[in-house]
Amino acid sequence: MNRQPFPSAAMAATAVLCALLLAVAVTPATAEDMQPMAADTVAAAEELASADAASRGEFRSLDKDVQDLKKEVLDLNRDLFLLEEELLFPANSQVAFFVSMDVGEYFELDSVQLKINGKEVANYLYTEREAGSLIRGGVHRLHMANLKTGDHELIAIFTGSGPHTRDYRRGATLNFDKGIGAKYVELEITDRVQKQQPEFVIKEWE
Amino acid sequence: MQLLRAALTGIVFLLLAMPAAAKDKREPIVVQDVHYGEVLFHFYKEDYFPAIVRLLAARDSSRVENHLKESELLLGGLYLSYGHHLEAADIFERLLADSVDQDIRDRTWFFLAKIWQQRGYLERSQGALGNIEGKLPKNLEREARLLQAQLHIDNGEHDRAIALLDKWKGNTEWSRYAQFNLGVALVRSGRIAEAQSILSELGDIDPWNEELTSLRDKANLALGYALLQDGQPNAAKPALSRVRLEGPFSNKALLGVGWADAELESYERALVPWMELRGRDLLDSAVQESMLAIPYALAKLDAVSQAADHYLNAIEAFYEETNRIDLTIDRIESGLFFDEFVTDDPLDSTGWYWQMEELPTGPEARYLFHLLATHEFQEGLKNYRDLNYLYRNLDTWQQNVVVYGNMLETRRQAFAERLPRVEEALARADIDALVDRKLEFDSLLNNIEESNDWLALASEEQFEMWGEITGLENNPALAADIPEAAEVRDKIGLLKGVLQWELEKDFKDRLWRIRRHLRQTGEALVETQRSRRQVDESIRLEPIEFDTLGDRVYGLAPRIERMKAEVGNAMFAQQQFLSDIAVGELSAQKQRLDTYTIQARFALASIYDIATMSEAAE
Repeated sequence: MNRQPFPSAAMAATAVLCALLLAVAVTPATAEDMQPMAADTVAAAEELASADAASRGEFRSLDKDVQDLKKEVLDLNRDLFLLEEELLFPANSQVAFFVSMDVGEYFELDSVQLKINGKEVANYLYTEREAGSLIRGGVHRLHMANLKTGDHELIAIFTGSGPHTRDYRRGATLNFDKGIGAKYVELEITDRVQKQQPEFVIKEWE
Repeated sequence: MQLLRAALTGIVFLLLAMPAAAKDKREPIVVQDVHYGEVLFHFYKEDYFPAIVRLLAARDSSRVENHLKESELLLGGLYLSYGHHLEAADIFERLLADSVDQDIRDRTWFFLAKIWQQRGYLERSQGALGNIEGKLPKNLEREARLLQAQLHIDNGEHDRAIALLDKWKGNTEWSRYAQFNLGVALVRSGRIAEAQSILSELGDIDPWNEELTSLRDKANLALGYALLQDGQPNAAKPALSRVRLEGPFSNKALLGVGWADAELESYERALVPWMELRGRDLLDSAVQESMLAIPYALAKLDAVSQAADHYLNAIEAFYEETNRIDLTIDRIESGLFFDEFVTDDPLDSTGWYWQMEELPTGPEARYLFHLLATHEFQEGLKNYRDLNYLYRNLDTWQQNVVVYGNMLETRRQAFAERLPRVEEALARADIDALVDRKLEFDSLLNNIEESNDWLALASEEQFEMWGEITGLENNPALAADIPEAAEVRDKIGLLKGVLQWELEKDFKDRLWRIRRHLRQTGEALVETQRSRRQVDESIRLEPIEFDTLGDRVYGLAPRIERMKAEVGNAMFAQQQFLSDIAVGELSAQKQRLDTYTIQARFALASIYDIATMSEAAE
């Protein structure tokens, strides 16, 4: 057996080692705490030889193009968003209804039903994530409508869990005057600490 | 990635919350403009694209005047969360210098450095790290140091990486990673002995979680192969033997242990780990290599016939595997893989944090597993996915804009149809004549009041009665001087007196009521005049408004069309880039199989030669 039917171990080791050494500098992608991050670790660990400088350069060039496109499409979306609003809800007749929560200790929101002049116009069921967004200070645009100038009646019915996780259903009413120009109405859920009960308030914004 | 998300969201929140008097206590965000709150709602929901669009629109239409400064920072944070990192950096570079506390500024630079390192913007990443002026929190400080070491390694500055990591002490997860990186940097610099001491220690730790267990395996594997390459098979074996038998690195470890024994010419021992690899997934290069290593060892042990069988099996297996790879390459080159990848993608989840939850189900998934785990491929896929989102977004707008165009035309048509009827009705309604009549009534009422003309305000019934009474009063028959006539005259006088008394009694009240009605009529007339002016204004302005909106609708349509084409081109380029990487990787696998096949054939030929020569000799 003079011929070597297969290369030596050192040669095989070189190939594997090269692949391994390209996978160095694993950084646990933890940020604020020290939890492990399997995905990032595996990602770094499995980085292969293909990630060379040339392809990195190409990636960057493409990434730059994507970034530029994102900016242009976002600007276009802004223009379209404003156009859509002006077209569908002209300022003279526009009324927007918003839902907000302050603290939310005594009430877990499930849904809000909205009636304008006795007619149901919205019935929105909140996901856990959306309810969470409200608690953190987000304001949800529940409904947009076109209303004539003059008096209108708004009824909002809130359902959810009240204190001691009991089913809770409360209504709030507002008679409002729609003048010329857009009008914003905020349905606000607040905590009445003294009574340990939620409170539902409707506020008008001009 | 989940934690990076939480950290970035936290940073944006910190950027927005105003510092309070006490250190590290920040006032919650108080929403003073509902539209700002609406942006926050989408931000907290992690719907970054709609949040950015709403914020841009709100800023453009002056709806966030009470949050001007925060809205700029929020925009930066949203861009960062959406993966629009260059735009985010522009905002932060402009705003962070003087408007934000140093600790938040430093954290923001740290996260930008991290994102840029992942996206291959190494100079920017280094620059961002350089912008950190103060001391980061301890955990971020550790991560920043590792990031800096990574940047040194990326730039080939191994000595600097070693110097940075060498001082790292302790038994934390971070220190273990630093230890691993240091060991690898030393191997790269050819300082095997130093690397051995560091990687050996790491390879012998008692890990407290899966990630560290995996790191320990990797350290042992790296060390084992480094020693094998350095010609130290005896030293390599213990390290390789410490790798778990069922972990992701076990195949390579088993192969390495076999090679270490083969180097020591213990071919029987080498066969043990190599035989273990036989039943494993042929996709792994270690398994492929073992299919040649086994007959090599058998040949060394003079089991030539068995060796020949193994070589034949290997050739067959490599052939089948090569065919599968060819099919996969075809599928990737056809674009099917990428089409399927984005087909079921929801339109509402974009952003930096996205990562593939599940591997694609096609036959290519097993080959692309490694690729999908690399930053470059993942980031490329993210971009592809983002582009697909933009394309679908533009597609939806394109359809909407057609509808808006139709809507506008319908409104224009309806206006044109109604206008003559409205103008006719307006012409009929002579408001000026009504005003004149109202003024005449005013004047008449004034005269009635001045002259105390109580009869003028009598009711119809009273007026008729008054007429009848005065009619009777003037009847000539009653002028007769007879008692009956005198009696009737008295009665008429009494009736007239009573009626006059009633009319005089009610006069002021009636006067007041009529004045009130007239005042209300006047108000209604003023309102009608105002409405009329509005109607006239609307008639004048509506066509102008139609034209303005029409210009916008029809002006945006070509912009959408152009952007769609550009996004489509970028998608194609991105797909091509990803396809090139994937096909390159698969071609390399195929090339390796081809090489193995040639080696197997060569070895087989060699065995046949020997057998033929032996037979001839006999």
